[in-house]
Amino acid sequence: MAANDSMIQVTDLKKYYAGGAIKALDGVTIDINKGDVMAVIGPSGSGKSTFLRSLNLMEEPTGGAIVFNGVDITKKKYRDADGKLVKLDIDSLRQKMGMVFQHFNLFPHMTLLENMTLAPMKVKGISKEEAEKKALELLDRVGLKDRAGAYPIQLSGGQKQRVAIVRALAMEPEVMLFDEPTSALDPEMVGEVLDVMKELAQEGMTMVVVTHEMGFAREVSNRVLFMADGKLLEKGTPEDIFDHPQNPRLKDFLAKVL
Amino acid sequence: MDQFIQLENFAKIAPYAKLFQQGVVVTVLLSVFTVAIGFCLALVLALMRMSNIRPFRALGLDENGHLRESGFLAAISKFNPLAFLATAYVEILRSTPVLVQIFIIYYGVFSVIELPTFQIFGFIKFNRFFPGVVALGMNSGAYLCEIIRAGIQSIDGGQTEASRSLGLSQAQTLRYIILPQALRNILPAIANEFVVIIKESAVTYTIGVQDIMSAVNAVKGATFVIIEPLMVATAVYFCLCFPTSKLIAYFERRMSHGSKR
Repeated sequence: MAANDSMIQVTDLKKYYAGGAIKALDGVTIDINKGDVMAVIGPSGSGKSTFLRSLNLMEEPTGGAIVFNGVDITKKKYRDADGKLVKLDIDSLRQKMGMVFQHFNLFPHMTLLENMTLAPMKVKGISKEEAEKKALELLDRVGLKDRAGAYPIQLSGGQKQRVAIVRALAMEPEVMLFDEPTSALDPEMVGEVLDVMKELAQEGMTMVVVTHEMGFAREVSNRVLFMADGKLLEKGTPEDIFDHPQNPRLKDFLAKVL
Repeated sequence: MDQFIQLENFAKIAPYAKLFQQGVVVTVLLSVFTVAIGFCLALVLALMRMSNIRPFRALGLDENGHLRESGFLAAISKFNPLAFLATAYVEILRSTPVLVQIFIIYYGVFSVIELPTFQIFGFIKFNRFFPGVVALGMNSGAYLCEIIRAGIQSIDGGQTEASRSLGLSQAQTLRYIILPQALRNILPAIANEFVVIIKESAVTYTIGVQDIMSAVNAVKGATFVIIEPLMVATAVYFCLCFPTSKLIAYFERRMSHGSKR
């Protein structure tokens, strides 16, 4: 891909705890391009969730750089186009990065419609009518339009996660981050969530997906990262990773999960 | 042998029923204002305790602009004066008797600040009532602060993460996501605090607030009867507290529909 398609450049990203005794992330470098569907795989405790959560600063990195749309977001301040030093606006940054969580994190005191319209109305200042129209369109897309007035507790896990995905989409993000989106689901509900994600990928959404679903990583993603012990040990196309693994840790991992 | 309670004594105290009536009004008003003041104070205290205002935060960054992990500068950078003040306030108020606090407020603070001497409804002396409310409110605020803080912290961290990931600011997250859920969770505790204040407010008779206990004392002084007025006071307090807690439990059930996690 051309260099100007690059969206996020991660350089030597580090996240240390306890003064460096625990290295959750130990020097990860990767470019994420526009339209990438990037699957991040690896054993638990490998740092893949920390990596994902660092991208929108849910975790504050202790070292390295994340350049998003030309700005290093790990710094509190940056120089704008005119060379002026400005404060990093973390909220406007997060608007552009949708996030989907393992445990859905829908707001239990709000209906689905309210869940979906809150951020567009309060953050983007969109009118209630417009926000609701958009929300209903999105809910319709995942087959839950008739449940718009329901509360999250009334939904199944799969339905909740579909709502969580379109709630993030309602902010029209440039990239979607998925943190093990199917790990908390009953097996029969995994498919319906993966289908939504697959559709999203086909529409050209840039996605970073931490997942244990090797089928999804192989079929839907165009790039796969393998992480272990906070390090990025191998990256490549799904064919490279699954059919011609090089790193012994990756071979070992695949032998266990496939 | 004399009986513990003598019915004819009730006849003796009957002419003073009006004092009890007024006492009930004073006690209820005292409790309502106390909880209102206490709640507002507690919300501010709780937010102060959980705030992230660190004047020396910049010292926590190294020359590359990254976070220091440990050391003296890292510790200083984490110092939060607002949280420190709020914590000190809560711990002091919770570790001293409310009677002492009431005396300090009444004989100390309000001997310096002159209060007007008008009477509300013709029988509530403002210059006694107001210090009572202030002292009880300050005390109640310390307890309610911990209740509110626990309520806010009981909300799953994922809620904050989801909200912030959508671009909502910290303040918006608090207002639209955290507080509505937290307040619903702590409603029983606040109701309980209200009932506690109704009972605790009895100590304000020591600074001359004419509440129910003060009516007992007045009747005792006038008729030399003690047990019977106390029985009346007991019945009145029970009739205030028991229905209140039941009523709030009812509203709590009604409010919690469809929104459990």
